[in-house]
Formats: sequence, C-alpha cells, structure tokens
Amino acid sequence: MRPTSRIATCALALGVLVATAACSAGAPTTGAAKTALTIGTMTAARSMDPIDAGGGSIPYFQAVYDTLIKREPDGSLTPMLAQSWTYDAAQTALTLTLREGVKFDDGTALDASAVKANLDRFRAGGGAEVGQAATTASVEATDDRTVVIRLSGPDPALLNSLSDAYGLVANPARFDRDKPFASVPDGTGPYELDQRATTVGSIWTYTRAANYWGTAAAFEKVVIRVFDNENAIVNGLRTGQIDAAVLQSVDQQTAATAGTNLRTTSQEIDLKLFNIFDRKGARIAALGDPRVRQAINYAIDRDILVRQIQQGRGTATSQIWGVQAPGHVKELDSFYRHDPARAKALLAEAGYAAGFDLTLPRLAALVPDSLAEALRTDLGAVGIRLKWDDLDRSTFLTSTFRQFKYPGVVMNGGQPSLDWATISGSLLPKTVANPFGDTDATIQDLTAKIRAGSPEQAARHAQQLNRHIVEQAWFVPLYRMQYMHVTVPSLTAVPQAGLAVPSLYNYRPAA
Amino acid sequence: MSADQIPAPTVDRPGRSTAARRLLRNPLGVLSTLVLLAVVAAALAAPLLTDQLPATAHLRDAFGPPRAGHPLGFDSAGRDILSRLLYGARNTLGGAALALAVAVVLGIPTGLLAGYFGKRFDAIANWLVNLLMALPAMIVLLASRAVLGPTVWVLMVILGVLAAPSFFRLVRGIVLTVRNELYVDAARVSGLPWWRIVSRHVLIMVRAPIIIQVALVAGVALGLQAGLEFIGVGSSGELPTWGAMLNEGFQFVQRAPRLMLWPGLAVGLTSAALVLLAVALRDALEDRADARPRRVRRAAPPAPPAPPAPAGRQAEAPDRAALLSVRSLSVSYPGYDGEREVVRDVSLDVAAGQIVGLVGESGSGKTQTAFAILGILPDGGRIGRGSVTIEGQEIIGLSQRRWRSLRSTVVAYVPQEPMSNLDPSFTIGHQLAEPIRAMTGASAAAARRRAVELLREVDIRDPERVMRRYPHQISGGMAQRVLIAAAISCDPRLLIADEPTTALDVTVQAEILALLRRLQRQRGMGVLLVTHNLGVVADLCDSVLVMRQGRVVERGPVADVLVHPRHDYTRGLVDAVLDLPLTEQTDDAAASGTEQP
Amino acid sequence: MFGFLLRRTAAGLALIVVISFITFVLLSLPENDVGRTLLGPEAPADLVAAKNAALGLDRPVLTQYADWLSHALRADFGASWFTSEDVTAAIAARLPITLSLMIGVTTVTALASFGLGVWSGVRRGAVDRAVQILGVLGYALPGFLITLVIVLVFAVRLGWFPAIGYIPLSQSPAGWLSTVTLPVVALSIGAIAGASQQVRSAVIDVLSQDYIRTLRSRGLPARTVLFKHVLRNASAPALTVLGMQFVGLLGGAVLVEQIFGLPGLGSMAVAYTTRGDIPVIMGLLTVTVVGVVTINLLVDVAIGLLNPKSRQT
Repeated sequence: MRPTSRIATCALALGVLVATAACSAGAPTTGAAKTALTIGTMTAARSMDPIDAGGGSIPYFQAVYDTLIKREPDGSLTPMLAQSWTYDAAQTALTLTLREGVKFDDGTALDASAVKANLDRFRAGGGAEVGQAATTASVEATDDRTVVIRLSGPDPALLNSLSDAYGLVANPARFDRDKPFASVPDGTGPYELDQRATTVGSIWTYTRAANYWGTAAAFEKVVIRVFDNENAIVNGLRTGQIDAAVLQSVDQQTAATAGTNLRTTSQEIDLKLFNIFDRKGARIAALGDPRVRQAINYAIDRDILVRQIQQGRGTATSQIWGVQAPGHVKELDSFYRHDPARAKALLAEAGYAAGFDLTLPRLAALVPDSLAEALRTDLGAVGIRLKWDDLDRSTFLTSTFRQFKYPGVVMNGGQPSLDWATISGSLLPKTVANPFGDTDATIQDLTAKIRAGSPEQAARHAQQLNRHIVEQAWFVPLYRMQYMHVTVPSLTAVPQAGLAVPSLYNYRPAA
Repeated sequence: MSADQIPAPTVDRPGRSTAARRLLRNPLGVLSTLVLLAVVAAALAAPLLTDQLPATAHLRDAFGPPRAGHPLGFDSAGRDILSRLLYGARNTLGGAALALAVAVVLGIPTGLLAGYFGKRFDAIANWLVNLLMALPAMIVLLASRAVLGPTVWVLMVILGVLAAPSFFRLVRGIVLTVRNELYVDAARVSGLPWWRIVSRHVLIMVRAPIIIQVALVAGVALGLQAGLEFIGVGSSGELPTWGAMLNEGFQFVQRAPRLMLWPGLAVGLTSAALVLLAVALRDALEDRADARPRRVRRAAPPAPPAPPAPAGRQAEAPDRAALLSVRSLSVSYPGYDGEREVVRDVSLDVAAGQIVGLVGESGSGKTQTAFAILGILPDGGRIGRGSVTIEGQEIIGLSQRRWRSLRSTVVAYVPQEPMSNLDPSFTIGHQLAEPIRAMTGASAAAARRRAVELLREVDIRDPERVMRRYPHQISGGMAQRVLIAAAISCDPRLLIADEPTTALDVTVQAEILALLRRLQRQRGMGVLLVTHNLGVVADLCDSVLVMRQGRVVERGPVADVLVHPRHDYTRGLVDAVLDLPLTEQTDDAAASGTEQP
Repeated sequence: MFGFLLRRTAAGLALIVVISFITFVLLSLPENDVGRTLLGPEAPADLVAAKNAALGLDRPVLTQYADWLSHALRADFGASWFTSEDVTAAIAARLPITLSLMIGVTTVTALASFGLGVWSGVRRGAVDRAVQILGVLGYALPGFLITLVIVLVFAVRLGWFPAIGYIPLSQSPAGWLSTVTLPVVALSIGAIAGASQQVRSAVIDVLSQDYIRTLRSRGLPARTVLFKHVLRNASAPALTVLGMQFVGLLGGAVLVEQIFGLPGLGSMAVAYTTRGDIPVIMGLLTVTVVGVVTINLLVDVAIGLLNPKSRQT
C-alpha cells in the first residue's frame, strides 16, 4: 500500500503541474486596444467561392472579397468597387462605374470585364442565392470602367443584391479551373485567408491585407470559429476566448447576460412562421379555403408563445413584413388575436366543423418541443389534428423544399429591410415560400406598382399588399424573435439592418 | 490448482436458489435489485402513478414549479415532468431491452455453437466477430444514421449487433472449457443429441456469466441511447424518453436546471443499479465472501498456549521436536454462516532428517495445515489457535517480515501442480535466481551460477538452456524439478512438499520421489510430505498422520499405521490401496489432474 | 514475431476492405439526389444531372466503390460533396486533436486505473468497496453531465483552463496542455471507472494463482511479488481492456468535442454524417477502422512482450 500511495502522490503532482501550466497559458489578454477579433458562429461557409455565399455566411466572404456596393449597418448603400451607379428611366438598366486602382493579388487590375465575368458566373452557378440575379437579362462591359446590367424588369432589390453575394468579385483568372475557390479565395478584400491557421468547417483565420485599396481593416487578425451549439459559444464569450457572437437561443442569451460584463444588443430579426405551401388545397383541400387559413391564425395563442418560448424576447405578429421595411404596418402585428371560437366558426363556415388532419415536418432545431406541443394543443382545440413528422436535417430539406411532401412547414423567415426583398423572397411565384406559384389580381397589380414606382408610392402599395396577404392568410406568422449581439467590452458590433449577421465591417475596437 | 486450497465449500456449483439467497444478503445487491424493480414497476404502472399524460401540453404552464397533481412541475412545453419520466421509462427501457435482445439472440446461440462444434463454424463466426469488434461504435452509429435515419430504435438494433460479440466471446470461451468435461463427454457417449447436451449441460454453465453480462450491456445500452438522443443523433419522435428529456433540459439549462435533473437522475440511477447488480451477481455466483474483513491474518492475535491434547492415539504426541512442532493448530475461514474451521486441533512434529507423511482425502485440511505452517494461507484464512515452532521459534504472531525471512532459508515449499506454480511471464533462470538474490543478497551473476548448480543438482541435464526457457516450454516433470531446485536454493532445513507427484506422469513420479529422497538424505532435511497416496507414504515416510475433516485421526510410525490401522477411516484407506495395484490408482489421479470430486 | 505482424497486418487490411465495401454499398442504397441537394431546388435539371455525373454518381455502385478503393489505397478519399474540401486533408487537420484527447485519456486512464485497481485488488475490504462504488458512480453518471459541470466550474467560474478551442502541440506545448486538460479529464472519469474494475479483477485473479503463493513461500518481499509478478501478469488483460477503451473513446470524443468546441474527428463525424456526405463518412470510417486495427495490433504485440506464452501463436 505504501508504493501505491507514492503513485497517487505522483499523479497529484502531475495534476498540479498541468494546472499551473494551464494558468500561465490560459489567462486572457486584456488592456490594450483590440487587434484581433474572434467571432463565434454556428454557420460555416461552404467554400470560399462567391457562388456559395449568402445569408449567415456573408462575413466569411466580406473578409477576402469586396462587393460592388457596400451596405452600411442601417441598410444605406455606399460605393465600394463601384464608385457610382445610375438607373435608366425605365429602371431596367443599371450602369455601374468602377473604382480605379483596385488590384487582385496577382497584380491584375479590376476592370469591367472582370466584373462582367463574375456576374455571369454567379448567374449560371446555381448557388443558394442565385435568385438575386433572377431579373438580370444580360451584363455588358461597355468600357474598362463601366458595366451595364440589363434587367428583364425593374428590380428594387438589385442594388442590395450587389452589396451581398451577387456583388462579390473574385479574380476571373481562376474561373476556368475545377472548383477554383473551394478553399483558397482570391479577391480584393481587406483581409487575406491564413490557410495554415484555417481548418475548413471549424476555424477560419484571416490576417489584415497589406496593400488594401481602401481604409485598412480594423483588426490585424480575424478568426471565425464554428460551433454546433451555442452553449460552447457562450462559454467562450465568458472566458474571453470569443469576442463576438449572435445568440439565437433565449436560454443562452440569459447565460450571456447573467453576471458577465459582455456588451449586448438585441435585434428583432427573424420570424417564426407556419408557411402554408398548399394554398390551392391540392394535398389538403381545407387549406385551399382562406377561411380555414384564417381559422388557423385565430387558433394560435401567440402571446403565450412569445412569453414562454421566447421568454418575452420577441413580438407576436400576424404579418411577415419586418419592422425596418417601409411596408410594415404596426397594427397588423395584432390582426389575428387568439380567438378559438372565431376559428371554430370559420372552420364550420368553410365546411370543416369536424376539423381535419394535418401532418407537418419537424426539424427539432427549428421547432422545439415547446412550440410543437403548443401548436398541436392550440390547433387541436379547434379541431385540427396536427401530427409532426420528426425529420433529419437532410431529409427535412429534401422532403419539405424539394419534394414538397408536406402542405407546409414551420420555419424561420428573414425580415429584410427592403419591401422588394420580402416580396421577391416570399410572395412571388416559385420562391421558397410560394413553390406552387399562387397569386391573384391584387397581388399582381400591387407588385407591379411597387416594382416600378417611386419609393413613397412603393411603400404605400407595399403596405396594401402586406394587408392583403394578412387578410388572405397566406401565412401563419407567429412571432419575431429577438437575437442578441454579444461582444466583449473592448469591442463593438453594430447590427445589420434586415440581417441576422452583422457585416464584417460593423465590428470595431471600442473607443 | 491445488486441491484443498478452497476451504471445502458447502456448495460445489452455485445453484440458482443459493445464488439468489447470497445476492439478497448483499446490501448493494438488494438495493440495486430494488431500484431496478422500482423503475420497471413505475414504468409499467405509469397510468396508476399519475393522471397526467406525457403528451398533454399547456404552454401556459411551461417551466412551472411543482403543484398539486404535478409533483415535479412542468417542462419547457408545459408537459408534466413526472408523467414524461414514467412513460419515458417505458420507451427508454424498451430501447435498451431491444439492443439487449438483439445482442443476446445473435451472440449466445452462435457462441454456443461455435464453442461446441468448433472447426469451420467457429472460424467463420470468429472472423465475423473480429470484424464487428474492429468497428468504432459511434462512427458506425453515425454512418447507419445517414443510411437508415435517426430513429433511435433502429440505432438500438445496430447497437445490439455491435454488442453481440461480447456475448459470443463470453459464451464461446466457457463452452470451450466445458466441452471436454467428463460429464459432457459422458452425455455425448450416451448418445444424447447435441442440442440436448447443449441445452441441458452447457447452457447451465454459461447461465451465470450471461446474467452478469446482460446487466452490464443493459447499462451501456441505456447510457448510449440517452447519449445519442442528447447529442441529437438519435430521435424517438414524439415518444417521451429520458434521452429526449435530457436533450430538452440541456437547451434550458440556464433557465431551469431541474429539467435536466430528473432524467439525469433516472438514467444515472438505473445504470448504476444495473452495474451494481452485475457486481453483486458476480460476487454471489462466484461465491466471493467479500463481506468479511480481509486482512485478519496480519492482525491475528498471538496464539494462546496449547491446551492439553485430547485422549486417544493422537494424544500420544511426543515432546516437541526441534525442527518443526505444531500444537493444537486450528485454521478457519469466514463464511456466510460464521467462521468455518477447516483445521482443528492439529499437532505434529518433524525432526531433522525425518520424513513425516500427512495423508487424508481432499478437504481433510492437510494442505491448509501446510499453508498455515508456511504462513501463506489464502485470503481470508486465519490461524485461530495453536502454536507452531520452527527451530524452536514460535512463528504464530511473528511479524510478516520475520516470518518471511524464515522461508526458503529454514522452511521451503514444494507445491503440487508444477505448471501453475511457475510464473508464466518470467524465465526459469529468473525465477530461480530472484529469491536467491532476495534472501542471500547475492549478486546477479552469483545467483545465476547458484541457479545453474541447483538445476544440475536436481538432475537437469542442460541447465543453461533450461534457464532461458519459459515455464510453458518445459515438461511437467522438469517443472517439478525446477520447483524442487527452487525450494532447496537457500538450503532449508525443513521441506514441506504438498502432493509433489500427484500431477505428474507415472514414470516421472518415481523419479521425483527418488530425487526428493536423495536430497533429503544428502542434506539431512526434515520433510513434511502432504499426500493422499499411501503408496508414497509407505515408500518414503518414517511416520504418518492421517487427517479427516480437519482433525488428526491417527498417527504413528508408517509400518504401524499401515499394518495395524486403528481408525476405521485409515482402515478404509489402506484397504482401498491394497485392493488395487498401486500404479493404476496413481494413474487415475494423474489423469484427472486434481483430486477434486 | 515478424510473421505474426505480417499476418495480422494482412488480416487487418482485408478487414478494412470488407468493412469499407459493406458501408459503401449501404450508404449508396438510399435514393438521395445529391446533385439536387447540392444545387438547390431552383437549379435546372440538366445542371443537376451534370453535377451528379461530375461526382461520378451516375455509375454503378460497384464501379464507384472500385474507384473509391483504388484512390483510398493511395490515401486519397476524394472531396467532400458539400464543402469540396479534400477529405484526406480535412481528416489530417482534425486528427491531431482527437488523437491528443485519446492518447491523453489513455495515459491518464492507464495510470489511474492501475493505481486504483491494484490498490483495491490488494487491499480489498473497505478500500475495495469505496473504489467499486466510485467506479459505479463514474460509470453511471452521464458523461455529458460530468463534462458540462467540469466546463462550468474549471473554465467559466474559476478560469483555470480555456472553455473552448485547441492549441496545437507544435505551436505551444503549454497551450496544448491547457486546452486538452479539461476534455481529457472529462473523458477519463468514465474510462477510469471501467478500467480500474478490470485491473482489479485481473489483480485478484493473479493474486489467487498458485505461483504467487509459491513465490511468497520462497520469502520474496510482498512488494516484489506485487510490483513484479502480479503487475506483469495482470497487465495483459488490463491492456486488452485499455485497447478496447481507446477504441470506445471515439464515441465519447464526439460529445466532448462538441461541448469544448474542438474541431476534431468526433465533431466532424456528427456534422458530415447528418448531411450524408459519403466521401467524408467513408474517409472517417476507414481512418478509424485503420486506427482500431492498429491499436489491436499494438496491444497484441505488447501482450506478446509481456506474456511469453502468447508469443507462440
């Protein structure tokens, strides 16, 4: 027994050694102004190819590529690779004048033909955001510095698209290779990818570009780390290993605010909604009747959802328009109040007094137990027998959005700050939210007016369209969710209007 | 294994009822059984224990504290936690049972057949098992999820397949050892069909280890199921399970840690109970008397003075011999029903140059007497009373260190089974030289030279070569010579030989006996020869003691005792030898290897 | 010994080929339109078909497998369907992390379980009971609970160790130690609980062997008997258990890597298998099976060195 106690002592000593080594290494650096930025996220970039850009992965691309137009935090647009831009009177031709003196890493200058090559490639590439180029009929490089984008019709969202995935410009010298930007980017952006410190899928490390054409980047180093749960991100924030993150889970938001000195800003950005695909009633006849869809809207107690699921961090709403879009109408938030009696009456009126069966796909990450059960209970109370099919992510995507096996889906929707982005993203035929091309005369009339009209007219018509959609109960919007931007005190991050993820430019060392 | 090392247990093969009784005497066994029964009962009686249904949700109540009718409060969806826990037990235990069933159904029959028939079936099954065992379980589960979807039941079936090899190996191993047992042979000779033999004789042998394995695998399956659902790899759909509850709790660990508490407790408690049950079962089925303190031997009090010996022939013990003198020795072992004395009131003497035989059937306590003199009783054994002097020194109550220093140099031991008494991991040379160095402080080279000499002395022809050999590379007779060489390595004055020839071939037996006699004469050693073989006694011994049920029933000069046995038992022994030619009798002993009944 | 190694290596290779074949065929069974999944719902059909052709999915499964195998033999596992990254490179980048964890855990487990197992096997009685109960607790407590508590206490509250991330050994040994300590501790608890019981059984088994009694009868000090003879003979079964645990650790690594945000093979396995990225799944499976075969081989060699009897076969 004496020898064994000696072993125990050794083990103990080893443990202490480990602990002290750890202490010396693990102490977070504080004091001097922030020179490195570490962002924690749950969204990984699929590749470094602009074709794959968009949505939550846009910061990965903003580091190494520039867009034609820059999007400021408030949604206003400023010059970037394009110094200026003008529409023709019919709003079907956009002329972009390019900045001079911008060079790719290999020394070739950025010119109009390079931009045309990028725009053409994006349009043909079939990426997730290819819809941004949907209205583009052709692109012309009229001279070295001038590019003209000709449209099939007015596109109020085009300029915004050019500040997003569609506007990213890569070096066309590599276009003819196989998978040219799978892991190695080649752009004109403010940072370079440090490949040695990058593990695709987990950690991307960028260093400040030496000869950036514009204002030098705010940080010497930017690291984007991917996690598969927010718990790890919050732990990282609390130990100072992560500087900034956007938290979606309300429980983790609580964890990030309780007893920490982290800076937090809340932003109401994404919408939880039941998106009804089957408005023609092809699969479930009942859904073809607006009164049934209205009944569903009346059946759900949104206030309880917000209070219990979001712990108050959100707002109940009946419209899909976001608060920053001109078409938003405040009173539409409470258009459908919880009214089971009315719901039953509407169902009876539509000939479904006995209710009907409804099966919806469920991805646990999108529809937590609490929401699933609440919807089932609320709908059950008016006679609609809801059943959930629990699916795997890939099966969910395939069967819901490719095969349309279900009459609809409960999902998260973005809330762009542009009316047209909402319309083209959610209402126009063949979009994800409207796969069966539903439309009516009012919608056609109003969209045409919004597309071509002046901003003031467009806003007015957008509000009319918004109201029409709500009344027709195309959707069952539930609530807008508050996301929380969290940063360490030595850093600020300004939320991006209409987007859940701040642009990379929005991060600054604190003054 | 030497015959009466195990103190004559009352049960030879633990039957079901005794094992169950033993299990119930183990507090941990009782506790874990109760916990498991409670969990199963709660799962089955869920509707009786709560009025709530696990799927009834009122979001209004979400995260609500306990209140009447909802003793554990509500979860994030406003469902009653207790009812989810109870109904969840059904699905969780069901999943574990599913994995277990698959593992058992696949593993046990194949193991039985592979072990029983061997040959090609065994080869194929083994190959498959190696294939399965090389698969990293988690990666396979993840990959099969990609193919078959996240349904947790499917994953549990896969897990069952992956766990089947553990049953296969267990069963096959046991069947291999049982297959050639006499009673199985007998059954085969008597013409029983193989499936009758397997089900009647073989299955009984593997029953106990299987039960233990079942408890362990059930625990693993339970934990893994919860883990799979926790990381979101498995999904049980709308059915409540403990894993799904843990997953949900993890999402709200900040707001309501208690959501994780209850399912965590349920998983932890159930798998802990399963493991504890396995441990308790193992103890019960393998007859481990763990309940008793272990190191009593060290704390044994100095023996009280020997009481006067009882009347009868054994009372005629002469004055204490100078070399070895034992008086009123008793040895006992702890049992579930109190101490069991296996050696009672034994007195004996061995003088220098004398060979004393100690005979008796197995379980008569003769080996225990020898171990007690050497101070190497197995765990649990203790000397209750008596006195043992070696060269006049009382060794009972002597410190371990002093006692140890007597071994080899004064008293040495030649064991019964040569092969099992050599450490398989070290060369013969090493095993010979090591005690020489330890006891005499000789240098490595000197100890080695001495070892070579010793081997030569026990008639080993090529000692240098044998020195480099490992035990499994030499014959039994050679091994016994090595052990004798080891015993005399430090020139002991007393040799205690425990059935030194029983395990050997008949031809070798005579050689070893001759060797022992020669060495004894050359060195003038006293020898205590433990044996059941009266022929050997007649051949070698000066005097003899006959033991039965722990007592010396007869003693005296060899000629006296063998010719005029007084005790019925001795008479029986002598008659048995006279009835049979000597060689045949020893043949039997050699064939069976041990003298176990 | 050489022949043994050669035979075992050949058997291992055959095993890998068989396993990879079965997996490949099984993975190819479900009708997933990979091209459609990759390109999105709005991509035209001819583009999808071209994508599928580019990935070689229009060929028969056997041809696909033969192609995969011929590349895999040259350690080329192709490119991920979803991220286009080179699978071999991706695995190579993540391997050091998981390997760090597994080697760390195995070392800690070996030391601790030998210490505890020998202690309780020799002393028995109360010590034995205590170690057994600790073992059961370590075994029964769900691993993720232990891990979560460890992170909260030692990283978030006390700040002794980082809560997330990994620093390569080559970059900073102290940093490496600080990042792997907590995950290793979290993974070790369950492993020690299991292994110490096995060591204990092995020690008790050896202690009951005849040769131990005979060695004691020759006056060898108890310490020599224990640390030389008992330990050596008990280490063969203990090594087998440790080898199996090393393999099983991969499962635990999945969880721990997620909680600590470590970009290792475990988190990779979860992320890619849920998407059905067959090249990555095949690569991971092959690498892990190679690892398992290697470990088993090493364990056998070690047992052969410890136990001369097993060398014969």
